[in-house]
Order: sequence, then C-alpha cells, then structure tokens
Amino acid sequence: MIQEKILRILNSIRENRSLPPLADVASSARLREDFGFDSFDLAELTVRIEDEFSVDVFEDGIVETVGELCAKIEKAR
Amino acid sequence: MKPERIFIGDGKDGLSYADLLGFANGAKSVRRVIADENPPSFFPEFVLSLACGADVALPDAANIGDFPQADLPVRKPRFDSLDALANAVRNSRSKIDLFTSGTTGKPRKISHTVQSLSRSVRVSDAHSDDVWGFAYHPSHIAGLQVFFQAFFNGNEIVNLFGRQKREIFGLVVRRKISHISATPTFYRLLLPEPNVYESVRRLTLGGEKSTGGLLEKLGAVFPNAKINNIYAATEFGTLLVSDGEYFSIPQSAAELVRIDSGVLCVHKSLLGGGEVPVDGQWYKTRDMVEFAPDGLRFKFAARQSDFINVGGYKVNPSRVEDVLRGFGGVVDVRVYGRKNSVLGNILCADLKTEDGAEADIAEIRKFLSESLGQYEIPRKIAFVSEIESTRTGKIKR
Repeated sequence: MIQEKILRILNSIRENRSLPPLADVASSARLREDFGFDSFDLAELTVRIEDEFSVDVFEDGIVETVGELCAKIEKAR
Repeated sequence: MKPERIFIGDGKDGLSYADLLGFANGAKSVRRVIADENPPSFFPEFVLSLACGADVALPDAANIGDFPQADLPVRKPRFDSLDALANAVRNSRSKIDLFTSGTTGKPRKISHTVQSLSRSVRVSDAHSDDVWGFAYHPSHIAGLQVFFQAFFNGNEIVNLFGRQKREIFGLVVRRKISHISATPTFYRLLLPEPNVYESVRRLTLGGEKSTGGLLEKLGAVFPNAKINNIYAATEFGTLLVSDGEYFSIPQSAAELVRIDSGVLCVHKSLLGGGEVPVDGQWYKTRDMVEFAPDGLRFKFAARQSDFINVGGYKVNPSRVEDVLRGFGGVVDVRVYGRKNSVLGNILCADLKTEDGAEADIAEIRKFLSESLGQYEIPRKIAFVSEIESTRTGKIKR
C-alpha cells in the first residue's frame, strides 16, 4: 500500500536524523510541523519518492500533509 | 532614528532601538567572534562590536574554534544617543571577517568593512518606514546587506529565518512587512499559497539562480511587490540587480565588471581583503553567463567550477569527500549534486566500503556534522561497488 511505503520513507528520514519514528499517522499529519522536517529533509523526501515512485512530488509546489503526498503520488501513477 | 521603534523582533518579543542603546551601554563585554545563528541575539552584539571598533569574525557552524583573539579586551565608550551609536557604526574601522567555501581544504576568510558591506545601502526618508523580513543566516553576506540597509534607515527587522510558512505569512501581516530578501529556496517553501499579501512592496531573490515560474508565482502572492534578482558574493557584496531573468552591467560599474569568454570578472578594487585569488587587476568569478539576443543583457548559466549550490549555500564536494574518507571502513567516495525542486540541488554521495559493508547512515551523518555545516551533509548516500570516473580518471560529477 502506498500509504505504508510512504510512512516507511518518512520514518527513515527521521531515523537518519536520530529522531524516533512516528507510528500510525493521520493523513492530516503535516510534514513540517508534525514530522519536524526542514528544507533539507523535504529535499531528501523528494529524492526518495522519485526513486521509489518516479514522481517529483514537489514539482509544482510543496505539499503540506501526508494525505496530500499520497494523493499526488496516486494521481501520477 | 525613532527610539520606540522595534529594531529586531520575531513577532512576540522585540528589542526596540531604545533597548538597543541600553544594551550597548550596559553590556559587560564586546564580542570579537559572533557565532550566534539567531538574528535577534546576533545583531545587537554585532552593532556593539562595530560601534566599539572591535574587529569581529562571523564564522558559521563549520568553522568555529580558530579564534585566538576572542578574549582580548575592547575599550567600550558610552553612547549618549541612538544617533551617536549609529554614527559609531557608520564610521567604524572594524575588520569584519566572513568565511566562504575554499577551493581546497578549509573555508576561505574574506575581510570586509562597514563601508564595503554597505556600498549598496540607500538611506533616505522614502525608506524611513520600511519593515524588513529577514530570511538569511545572519553571517551570510546577503543577510549583512539587509541588516545595514535596515539599521541605517532605522527600520524594523522581523526575523523570518528558520520559521514555518504559516508563521512567516502571519508575521508579514502583523508587522506589515514591506521588504523581503531571501533565497529562491526560501520562497519555494512558501508556495503554493492561496492568499494575497499586499503590504510587501519589494521582494529580492539572491544566492541561487531562480528557476522558471518562481517569479510569476511570487507576483501572484505579492501583487504590489517589485521583484528583483540580485547577484552578490561573499568576495564582493552586491554587484548586479535584475528585474527578471536578465542582468546588465550598469553604467556606474562599467569599469569594474567585465565578461571574459563568458566568465564574469570583477575588478580587484571591489573585493574584500583576504585570500581572494586575483589575475592581474581582475578576479575571475566562477560564474558563467549566457547573453540575451541583444548582446548586452545576460543571465547566469552553469558554474564553471565543481561547486554545488544547495539552497543558496555553496558546497565544495571535494571537501565533503575528504571528510567522508575519514569515516571508518570507507575506501572511496564520490560526492555530487542532483537537481531538486526544493533546494535547487541536493547533495548525494556514493560510498565504496571495505567488503561492501553498508554502514549506518545516521552514524555517518553524525560523524560528518562534527566538521561540516548542515548544508554540506549528503542527503542521499548509496553504497556502490565502484566509484564512477570519467575517461581522464577525474571523478565524474
């Protein structure tokens, strides 16, 4: 499931910054405020998603929430 | 200067110009090294050091630690008024040391003065009520230019650096911000934005090439703003301003800037002191230009060097490679850039390890952060069996 894969990617970015993973998150969870991502983390996220799903998710603007992220990926597939 | 006006704040608390004078007269010591990343704590100290004529070094995270003069005492005069304080800064003989990526090894030191850093500052009544959104690391050359423009006009500086998007827009409205200067990355992170902000009259973009479409999108969010791209560098401050994609050399700079085989060159009289390599009278920047059909205007094309621009920060991949080679088990390494819609470029690394073992990425990053700034740490690390190189044996970037 896309949501699961994405959550795994998001948590792996947190792990690389020595932050604990977040468990089951709502689609309204915000990438910056709730996951604590800064611009470098967002940049890393685009790369990982591009490698996994072949989509440049931030091509036409930054998305705010996990739900918006999943929606963009689903739409592009 | 109006004493009751805020000098610098972040919406909740603010230090007024009167408070700044009180700080300057009450401080027990004068700093010769200011490594604070937080503009509200950085700038009052900076004002004091300059007003006292103390030489001051402004390192960033990557190069703190080499300043033997840090504890030398400084004579601290009393400032009778705000005007006296401002004049002391304006006429200061302080040497201001900034640091920028060197071609090899350690960062290069570039020495400036208040005069060289405020060359493009315009002071006038027309600017007396400007409110500046501050969006750079305070020791970044662009940040210092904003600071002097705001301070010499007695303007309020609103700290936007490191803040979230909704806070930033909230501050634009609450403090009626009229001017913002920031990197394209900063602006990209504000978009998309459905609302419109009418108080902003001037937007400046610098530090990176701004990518297609960004200016139009910003124009929609800030409909009353004149939008400029600036070309500036740690070595020489602000040099050129454009109102779109194309720059031109103004009449006033005709003798001081030239283009030689597509490379922008700057006359040595514009340079800060320090380790700036000069060829005769001219400093060859590493920026290449492409001319517009009219042959007079130009835009910036690829950089001549290997330096990678990550969110406005110049990264020297060789330096990052040197540090990475020091991590246990690493046999060889290649650091390179990859285009990225958030930061312009993202830094990547391919690592070849003993036995092909994959090391813990969090550990590698922790190791790197001991000698490198955040922006110099590769965000995509891959373990490879062979490092790609070009036919001449140079590492392929």
